[in-house]
Amino acid sequence: MRGLRLDTLGRGIAIILLLLLPQFLPLIYIHLATEILIYALFAVSFNLLFGYGGLLPFGHVALFGVGAYVAALIFKHFPGMYLPLTLLLTALSGVPIAAIIGFFCLRLKGAYFALISLAFQMFLYAIAMKWRSLAYGDDGMTVNRPDLYLPVLGNLSMRSIENVYYLTLVIVAIGILACYLFLKTPLGNSFVCMRERDIRASYLGYDVFLTRFTVFSASGILAALAGGLFVFFEEFVATSCIDLNMGISVVFMTVIGGPGHYLGPVLGAAFYIFFQDWISSLTKHWWVFMGIVFVGVVLYFEGGLVSLFTNGKVRLWASRLKGG
Amino acid sequence: MGVLRLENVYKDFSGLEVLCGISLEIRRGERHAIIGPNGAGKSTVFNVITGFYKPSRGRIFFLDQDITGWPIHKIARLGISRSFQITSLFPKMTVFENLRNAVVSKLNHRFNWTTLLNRSREVQRECERVIESLRLTSVRDVPACELSYGWQRRLELSLTLALDPFVILLDEPTAGIDVKETRSFVEFMKETTEGKTLVMVEHDMDVVFDIADRVTVLNNGKVLVTGTIHEIRENEEVQKAYAGRK
Repeated sequence: MRGLRLDTLGRGIAIILLLLLPQFLPLIYIHLATEILIYALFAVSFNLLFGYGGLLPFGHVALFGVGAYVAALIFKHFPGMYLPLTLLLTALSGVPIAAIIGFFCLRLKGAYFALISLAFQMFLYAIAMKWRSLAYGDDGMTVNRPDLYLPVLGNLSMRSIENVYYLTLVIVAIGILACYLFLKTPLGNSFVCMRERDIRASYLGYDVFLTRFTVFSASGILAALAGGLFVFFEEFVATSCIDLNMGISVVFMTVIGGPGHYLGPVLGAAFYIFFQDWISSLTKHWWVFMGIVFVGVVLYFEGGLVSLFTNGKVRLWASRLKGG
Repeated sequence: MGVLRLENVYKDFSGLEVLCGISLEIRRGERHAIIGPNGAGKSTVFNVITGFYKPSRGRIFFLDQDITGWPIHKIARLGISRSFQITSLFPKMTVFENLRNAVVSKLNHRFNWTTLLNRSREVQRECERVIESLRLTSVRDVPACELSYGWQRRLELSLTLALDPFVILLDEPTAGIDVKETRSFVEFMKETTEGKTLVMVEHDMDVVFDIADRVTVLNNGKVLVTGTIHEIRENEEVQKAYAGRK
């Protein structure tokens, strides 16, 4: 029981820290923290498919990109739209796109699944690049953050990075919680048991394609929402939101953080952004070092950073506490 | 009355004919064994019945409903459940969670996303009942991959039975179990499948003679003969097929 309480205590402290963060951190770190939260949401969406579903959607960034462009276009052409509505539309825009991609990809397995998913990402990337009148190619477009009006709190200026941080924190927390709870529902469980042994799942009466298709489509919500928040935060969208670099970084974050654990991608995103921030101040070849970390984790540290907390010494220690 | 009927079923794999006109009727409540030398097509028969392969020709009926070409999950939902020769479990899940996957499917909660699994009394109660009746309580919380082979085979069988199937297809249920354990495993099988329609592919003749009411002998993708144990023992063709193998 004490171990359990320790766990709850840890989570409580983490939440309080996240809430107080803007009070004691310099502005630049609030920026960084916001960025981490947005990437974390994206990585959570990727982790749902990769860590829990055993699928490797290499082109998952397509959905992030769709969200980013949808949000940017709304900000640009309908600047007066109520912000929560914009974000809702952005999130939902991921569903039909994910459904189309999933419909084709999910008939395939393993490497073929990953490659077809990548092909869709390339296709959407090409659209973003070539359709200049809509998306402005790699020049990108600048948008303005609209303010947020909330009933009790009144008008919250989004020129203030603290407010942007809090808004992002709330949305990302809801996204992660939704994902966490989803995995505890029968449908979430169905999805996980297909990762374990899809053929057996069919023989138990599960429709493997339909289940995966549903979850894949739903994962588009989180990815697109993350893309929308990214544009909201950066006030800028360009093909970098949908290119391969972005696509690879979410894979890195998830694998480094620990796939198959709901907090793995969050830790991974935090590590990735901090590490990138630190190492790129020393050398412009920061990718090399990130690559080394990635290879190291894959080879010697399966389970990622989160396993530091759930496995080995820490777990042993926690279980000893639990035992009394 | 025939529960399951195969009519003149053919299956070829790019020219290689594995099943050449199998006709077979499984009667309600019987224990039917399918035997035959290696490569006779025994497992393929299971695979066409359960929808894993589509037969190249011929029809398959379940309770007079034509199920030829149906997908696996639909056939499974009708109440035809199979086990595998090569153990096929959900390795990282515990015994409880393995069986829960079957229970969730049986209770038609597969697509439910509005309740939490561990809050569902119905699922929980049914899981406990299944675990108790299949006598898996002692390994309830052990991950499937950490079970001993004998327990894994039990869980393999239990997953099949947890669906409360109408017809049970067992593909070499005793495969790989050592002689000492086989005895108790067969007892376990007999008890847990009592009163159900059972079809099994089995190499171990002692097990076949112990359990089966009727036997079908396959050879080279054809039904050599179907009959009671006694009839099979006396049949010359069967003796030839088995002797010819050696």
